[in-house]
Amino acid sequence: MDIRVDTDACVGCGLCVKDCPMHVYELQNNVSVPVRPNNCMGCLSCHEICPAQALEHRGIYAARRHYIDIKVCEMLKKVI
Amino acid sequence: MSAGYIDELHDSFRSDLVYRSEDIPLECSPKPKEMEQTLHGVMKLNGLVIRSLEEIAGRGANAVTYRAGKKFGHEVAKYFQKREDVEGALHELSDLLRGQYSFEVWKPEDKETFIIEENGETFIYLVFHDCIVRQTLRRNGLEQGGPLCQTLFGYVVGAIEEITGRKAKLEIVHTGPNACLKKLVLK
Ligand code: SF4
Ligand code: SF4
Repeated sequence: MDIRVDTDACVGCGLCVKDCPMHVYELQNNVSVPVRPNNCMGCLSCHEICPAQALEHRGIYAARRHYIDIKVCEMLKKVI
Repeated sequence: MSAGYIDELHDSFRSDLVYRSEDIPLECSPKPKEMEQTLHGVMKLNGLVIRSLEEIAGRGANAVTYRAGKKFGHEVAKYFQKREDVEGALHELSDLLRGQYSFEVWKPEDKETFIIEENGETFIYLVFHDCIVRQTLRRNGLEQGGPLCQTLFGYVVGAIEEITGRKAKLEIVHTGPNACLKKLVLK
């Protein structure tokens, strides 16, 4: 798994470090570093918890999302 | 209500279709894109049932849904080939769940094998990727790990027990928006 942290965006809160059950991240000099990327099983709870949206996973399996309201998303896309 | 509206309504439920009793439907209708509202309706209904069950039965809700899932797992897996190896049983299970759930056997980097022995326990990690329960919970703003998840737990345990003849238990290790990590404990 290729995990990248936007070091400019990361605020060093350590939430991803605490949240990840596989201890993928460590805080080094107030920035999160993915030290065990191969232990990642792709749950993406770290993405949900990161207040800075600083995380990026590449090569991940994206689970089917049935709950997206297509009409609402199409409307949002037009507005944004 | 105007007569015009009633006629229009009646017309909308009529067609020239010839439907014979021997006709066997081979696909769902309408097309998936048009099924969106139905799917959302089913997810909402399931969410409401689970929420009400939790309100009335409290912690007992988990026991009810777990048992229901387990019975279903035993019932469905009855028709599958019996085998002692857990790996083979998991393979059968993934066929059984296809389309609703997908999972893989998983291990952390430092473990040699998928069957892990730790603190006197023998277990296998399972990562659930596609999961209709997770979608339903997120659609309804409900927490993961509650009674609806217990239905799936019971289902997996029931099916594994039925196929292998061994007692098993499933524990949640972590839940996320894209996947959940579970531990299948073998007894
Ligand atoms: S996706 Fe899950 S397992 Fe992977 S780094 Fe994030 S929290 Fe950890
Ligand atoms: S949760 Fe986000 S902001 Fe906080 S340490 Fe992790 S990457 Fe940085």
